[in-house]
Amino acid sequence: MLQIKQLHAGVEDKPILKGIDLTVRSGEVHAIMGPNGSGKSTLANVLAGRDGYDITSGQVLFDGEELLELDPEERAHQGLFMAFQYPVEIPGVSNSYFLRAAVNAKRQARGESEMDALEFMTFIKEKIKLLHLEGDLLTRSVNEGFSGGEKKRNEIFQMAVLEPRLCVLDETDSGLDIDALKTVADGVNALRSPERGFLVITHYQRLLNYIVPDFVHILMDGRIVKSGGKELAHELEAKGYGWIEEELAAGARG
Amino acid sequence: MSVSLEAPAVGLDSLTQIASALPPTPLRAAGLEAFRRSGIPTTRHEEWKYTSLRELAETSFVAASATDVAQLDLDAWLIADGPRIVLVDGQIAPEWCRLGIPGLDVRFGDRLTPTDRERIGSVAAIDATPFSALNAACHAEAVMIELARGAVIEPAIEILHVTIAGAEAVAAFPRLFILAHSEAEATIVETYATIGEGVTFTCAVTEGTVAANAHVEHVKVQRESEQALHIALTEIRQEGDSSLNTFSVTYGGKLTRNDLNIFLNGSNLHCRMDGVVVQNGGQVCDNHTRLDHAFPHCDSFEVYKHVLDDQAMAVFNGKIFVHLDAQKTDAKQTNQAILLSPSATMNSKPQLEIFADDVKCTHGATVGQLRSDALFYLRSRGIDETQARAILVYAFAAEVLEKIECEPVRNELERLLYEKLQA
Repeated sequence: MLQIKQLHAGVEDKPILKGIDLTVRSGEVHAIMGPNGSGKSTLANVLAGRDGYDITSGQVLFDGEELLELDPEERAHQGLFMAFQYPVEIPGVSNSYFLRAAVNAKRQARGESEMDALEFMTFIKEKIKLLHLEGDLLTRSVNEGFSGGEKKRNEIFQMAVLEPRLCVLDETDSGLDIDALKTVADGVNALRSPERGFLVITHYQRLLNYIVPDFVHILMDGRIVKSGGKELAHELEAKGYGWIEEELAAGARG
Repeated sequence: MSVSLEAPAVGLDSLTQIASALPPTPLRAAGLEAFRRSGIPTTRHEEWKYTSLRELAETSFVAASATDVAQLDLDAWLIADGPRIVLVDGQIAPEWCRLGIPGLDVRFGDRLTPTDRERIGSVAAIDATPFSALNAACHAEAVMIELARGAVIEPAIEILHVTIAGAEAVAAFPRLFILAHSEAEATIVETYATIGEGVTFTCAVTEGTVAANAHVEHVKVQRESEQALHIALTEIRQEGDSSLNTFSVTYGGKLTRNDLNIFLNGSNLHCRMDGVVVQNGGQVCDNHTRLDHAFPHCDSFEVYKHVLDDQAMAVFNGKIFVHLDAQKTDAKQTNQAILLSPSATMNSKPQLEIFADDVKCTHGATVGQLRSDALFYLRSRGIDETQARAILVYAFAAEVLEKIECEPVRNELERLLYEKLQA
């Protein structure tokens, strides 16, 4: 579903991603772990289409189509969703208005009829139940005055409503206490399905106790330096990132 | 060679002629004298620095006086199904009014009492501005709106000011006095509108008092045509333990100047002065507000938001005076603008003068474009850039309208905001 080939990207002549290769198939959960500054968030933002990054070379295919040539909204229409590390507060726009606009934009782009207010409420109430959320979430302005946990829950809620096929979670665990972390992970697990792929970007192994990945990749200095199964995350937790650095250095000498 | 910057006399002459044609009263005489002294201000006048009245000075006006008032179609301007006061060309149109509501007395013409006549001009001084003087000189009749003690009037007292445009440039001078007695509660919405094509000049004065424990919401809506010149003074004196929320909403007009002065004449008062300005094309809107905190323990909140497109220009000048005795004042002023075009202009001037030492006063002004992080957030959810911008601009302005308590008025202003932003 997602193929990243030799992706190089940076900001203002400063290279950050230095040749990423990664393939995510339907139904798979891939975790990308790495220390601060390794390029994790850059990868997420480049995939979602945020301005300000220069793609210097490489290719990203989403269902065989060139992802990097699409506008952010077109990527969303194709089924890509990024849960933000820092969800944005938008005073004056209610969550329900925002979500209905988003759902209808996607339906319109796919040549489907728009949902009217009543259809939408029925649809959205099911999602609220699925994720065990509070009903007043809908009437509140998007993320305005939300706690860190509420903001992240709202990201997962949007994900549930938009029904993407590929979900990119950018450090969704940052700033969460253990209860909020569990709630968010439960939400993600409820959305796992054979048709849906996940790219879970995180600094800590902690989140992966709750969202158990099929593959773990270690990102360092803009490259994936090691890939493995979920046991790789445990090894990292026990030994830290230093161990990988040493192993790489040894490999280079040896 | 010297270049004369003096304004031509044609506008001034035509306006003084309108005044001279009316039967003399002490108010009109005093108004005319004050207006002759001040004349039409130019941009050299500090209070008119950014807003040029050249067109006003160069146009010859006649007094607006509609015929066939009963034939007008006013539905497009009316909002709420409640008491209604309609003024056409600055004069009350009894056939359009809906009165006789308990607790609300509306007096004009012969029904004005001697006390009413004393009140008119007692809150808004005749020479408060050159145009309050002009209104005093030229107004055809004042309307007294009295809310009885304890009266609760729903959904809103609606006042519609219509000016009928035509081949000749017309001027109208509506003048109101709102007298809210203690414990009265009401929303008062004043809409200004134009029918027809042509240059119009509305020079309005609304003054009023809000007595102890009264709760008044005042909404002024500028929906006049894009050939309309509009200069209005609203001046209100608020007594102890009352609350007053004012909203000034400007969508229409070619040139709109609002002076809003509120004097907090007691303790434990709450006062809100909010504004929404949405202008495009060559529209100009200039809001001058003045708030006087004269007694201790009063709160005031002021938020003005502007959305300016094309070559639109707006001015916000917000004065807050905290007098020596006004300890424990809590005053907060904010004004914000979003410029949608590189040729739109915002001139912003907060002006706080604080003479008491135990007060909380803050002010902030921002001028900018839409937040790029919010824009990206919406786009990443599938909303295209055009719609994302529209949502953010709407939300920016609607955040002020959301505070209007009267639901039909709020809904209508939100609908009109949406319509204006589509333009």
